[in-house]
Amino acid sequence: MVSKTEETQLNRLENQVDNGGGGAWEYLCLVRKLKVRRSEKVLKYGLSILNDPKKRSALGPEEWTLYEQVAIAAMDCQCLNVAKDCIKALLKKFPESKRVGRLEGMLLEAKGLWAEAEKVYSSLLEDNPLDQVIHKRKVAMAKAQGNISGAIESLNKYLEIFMADHDAWRELAEIYVSLQMYKQATFCYEELILSQPTVPLYHLAYADVLYTLGGLENLQTSKKYYASTIDLTGGKNTRALLGVCLCTSAIGQVSKGRNKEDKESPELQSLAAKALEKEYRQKADDKLGLLTSALRSLKI
Amino acid sequence: MGLGFMVGVLGVLFLFHAAYSTIQYRGLLKIMEEEFSGPPMNVVLELLLGFVFCISAALTVPGNFLSIHPDSEENRIVSLSANLDFMIFNHRAKALPSETDMKLKH
Repeated sequence: MVSKTEETQLNRLENQVDNGGGGAWEYLCLVRKLKVRRSEKVLKYGLSILNDPKKRSALGPEEWTLYEQVAIAAMDCQCLNVAKDCIKALLKKFPESKRVGRLEGMLLEAKGLWAEAEKVYSSLLEDNPLDQVIHKRKVAMAKAQGNISGAIESLNKYLEIFMADHDAWRELAEIYVSLQMYKQATFCYEELILSQPTVPLYHLAYADVLYTLGGLENLQTSKKYYASTIDLTGGKNTRALLGVCLCTSAIGQVSKGRNKEDKESPELQSLAAKALEKEYRQKADDKLGLLTSALRSLKI
Repeated sequence: MGLGFMVGVLGVLFLFHAAYSTIQYRGLLKIMEEEFSGPPMNVVLELLLGFVFCISAALTVPGNFLSIHPDSEENRIVSLSANLDFMIFNHRAKALPSETDMKLKH
C-alpha cells in the first residue's frame, strides 16, 4: 500500500538520487518498505553502495538485506552475474539459510531452468512444508511458464491453507481478470474487500469487474462500489468519478422502457460530473472539451 | 518538547501542592472542630490550573496527532504495492539487456 504522502516522498527521493543529491540508502529503504518495483534503480544505486567498502561497512547488519534486495533487482534486470555474486556473498555469510536457498531458486528461474528451480523449491518445502513464500514462488513459476491453469490450481490450493493472505487473493483476482473469468474474479475481490475494507483500490477494482460483467443488478452494485471508492478517497479518484457516470448511463440504457420506479440518488452522477469538470479545469484545462463532450454523449 | 514538558511538570507540582494544602486545611478544621464541606476556593483554583496544565502537556508532548480520515493525504492509498512475492522474470528485460555492464567488485 502506498499512500499519497509516501508516494510524494518516494518521488522526491528518486529525483534527488537521480540528480546525484545523495540519499541512496534512504531511497532503497523506502523502496523496500513500500514494495514497489524499481529494479533498475535499485540495481544501480544498490550496487554503487555495495561496491564502496566504506559505505557498505557503515550499514552494519543491514548490508545483507541490501545484498538480497540487489540480487532480486539484478535478476529482474537479467544481470545474472551480479545476482550470482550477491548470492555467493550471502551464502558465504549464511551457509545454511533457507532464504538464500530461495534466492538460488529464483536465480534458476531467471535463467529459465525451470526443472532445476522446481527441484530446489521442492527440497526447501520438504524441510518446511508451510513456507508461504516458496509456495508463492511455485505459483509464479507456473505462471512464468505460461501454465496459467496450473497456477490457478496451485494458488487455490494455497489459499485453502492460507486464507488470510490478501496478496495471494489479489494475484488470483488479477489472473482471473486476465483470463476474462470475471465471476471468479469478483469472488476474490469480495474476499479482499472483506479483509481490508478501507482500501479504496479494492472497491474500485471490484466495481470495474462488476461493470464489465454487465446486467442491471451488477451495474447497480458496481455504482455503489464506485460511490464507496469516492467516499474513501474524498473524491480524488478520477476513475471512480468516471465510473459513476458510466454506470448511470449504462443503467439508464438497460432499464429503458422497463420504467423502473427507483431512481436512486439522481444527483449522484451530476455531482460526479461536476467534480470531474472541476478537476479537469484545474489539472488539464485543454482537455476539458473532451470531457464535456464525453459526458454529453452519456446523456447525463 | 521542552516547553510542553515544563508545563506538564508545573501542572503535576500544582496538583501535589493542592493535595498538600487540602490535607493541611483538614488538619486545621479538625483542630477548630468544624465540619469539612470542601476545599477552600484558592485550592480549587490551583487544582483547575494544574489540571489544565497537565492536559495541555499530555496533548502536546507525546507527538502530533495523526489523521484518521481515510481521504487524508497520509491515509489515502493511491497505489497498491507490486506483488513482489509473485514477481516473474519473463519480461522485456530479457530481450533488452542493459548495456552498462555492472559488476559486484570485491
